[in-house]
Amino acid sequence: MIRALYLAYGAAVLLALGVAQYNGWSLARVNEVKNVPRSVRDNPGSYRSVYSSYHHYTGGK
Amino acid sequence: MSAGPTPPGKPQVQSLNCPGCGAALVERSFGHAVTIVCDSCHSILDAKDRNLQILQKFKAATNEARPLIPLGTRGKIRGADYEVIGFQRRTIHVDGLPYSWHEYVLFNPYKGFRYLTEYNGHWNDVSILKALPEVHDTAPPSVTYLGETYKHFQTAKAATSFVLGEFPWQVRFGESADVTDYVSPPRVLSGESTGQEVTWSMGEYMSGRDIWNAFNLPGDPPEAVGVYENQPSPVSAEAKSIWVVFAGFLLVLVLMMIGFDISARNEEVFSGSYKFDSSQRGDASFVTDDFELKGHTSNVQLTTSTDLNNRWVYMNYALINEETGQAFDFGREVSYYHGFDSDGSWTEGSPNDHVAVPSVPAGRYYLRVEPEGDPGYSVTYYSVSVRRDVPQYTFYGLAFLALLAPAVLLTWRSLSFEHLRWAESDHPPASWGGADE
Repeated sequence: MIRALYLAYGAAVLLALGVAQYNGWSLARVNEVKNVPRSVRDNPGSYRSVYSSYHHYTGGK
Repeated sequence: MSAGPTPPGKPQVQSLNCPGCGAALVERSFGHAVTIVCDSCHSILDAKDRNLQILQKFKAATNEARPLIPLGTRGKIRGADYEVIGFQRRTIHVDGLPYSWHEYVLFNPYKGFRYLTEYNGHWNDVSILKALPEVHDTAPPSVTYLGETYKHFQTAKAATSFVLGEFPWQVRFGESADVTDYVSPPRVLSGESTGQEVTWSMGEYMSGRDIWNAFNLPGDPPEAVGVYENQPSPVSAEAKSIWVVFAGFLLVLVLMMIGFDISARNEEVFSGSYKFDSSQRGDASFVTDDFELKGHTSNVQLTTSTDLNNRWVYMNYALINEETGQAFDFGREVSYYHGFDSDGSWTEGSPNDHVAVPSVPAGRYYLRVEPEGDPGYSVTYYSVSVRRDVPQYTFYGLAFLALLAPAVLLTWRSLSFEHLRWAESDHPPASWGGADE
């Protein structure tokens, strides 16, 4: 019973892995934006990234 | 008219009277019993003596537990009908504490005697061995019987502390024997020695529900408490087989990794080198030339390589589809610091950064790039590289862990079960791996 469940579970994991690899899933934090105006091509400053000034590292040890 | 031979009738129990108290006795073993115990006065009588000579009398506590299977109950064990004809309680003392179990004598006129034992809701179907097991003087000791090895579990002196009904031996209240158990779940081999004589028996674990069904007893059996010495682990066999399945999954995982690696496009579709002067005010954003992403929906890996040295930059990126206006907006911090202190040299971060943008459909794209930096510093040289359909290994790691977790969990449960089993033995887990006495 447990073996059968594990077989089904493992198959599902590998299937999900295959789908993830084929579709190029990633864990990166990306924001999808629809309908960005064509004017951005000529005027890059007209677009504001949601990540603009999101985090500035002041860093170092 | 000739009477002829008397036809065999239905077996009848023989009625006798106890010479001690006069109470009616029922003999169920058709003369096979050696002793019979009076239920009323607890006289142990010589069943082979016509006058039922009293061999011993004992006092039973008024709250004495009665047999869970009443004497005279019939049931089917291993396909044969048996009747419960005797009952005894035996007690051992471990660290000064008494532990008692119950034994039931079963009788079938054609099959003979067999026994049931019960301890804390755990049952065993026991029969006397017809051949001697081979004892090995290993550490811990073991015996071999019919090709199966049994590990020593416990040796104790067991005393008879209550008897009732009929027995195929000269039973006595208070008599004791050295009992040594060897286990190979679901079986147990028990050697009982009194003086020079050793009697070997084999028990096979049965659940209370099986016993209740076999004897058609009303209600529910007492719930089994704890883990018994020869109780089969519900997960041990599964734990072993699940590792075989895991190995199979691992093989598939590796094959998938190789397959996706081979089939991935992994092609550079754009690269450019730039300069960012953070001391200059004004909008630093710009867009790149457009490039084509081919094939099915897949990832896009963007690599930022800089000449940072004890500085940081923050890159705002937008991967914009020229035709649909769909954009993938993300920010990447790139920082690299290094130095030397009392602990020695240290580094933090990296001058380069990689990010995989997930599930980007095919089409013509361009990048909007907007670098930010500390105004106190000046020029940063950096390059941007875009690759299409690059193999990502994070999910392989996650899948590996997801496949491993159930196998580890099941193995842990199996080990916990064995730990509980052997905690009650003469070889508790604390001595595992160490020298056994």
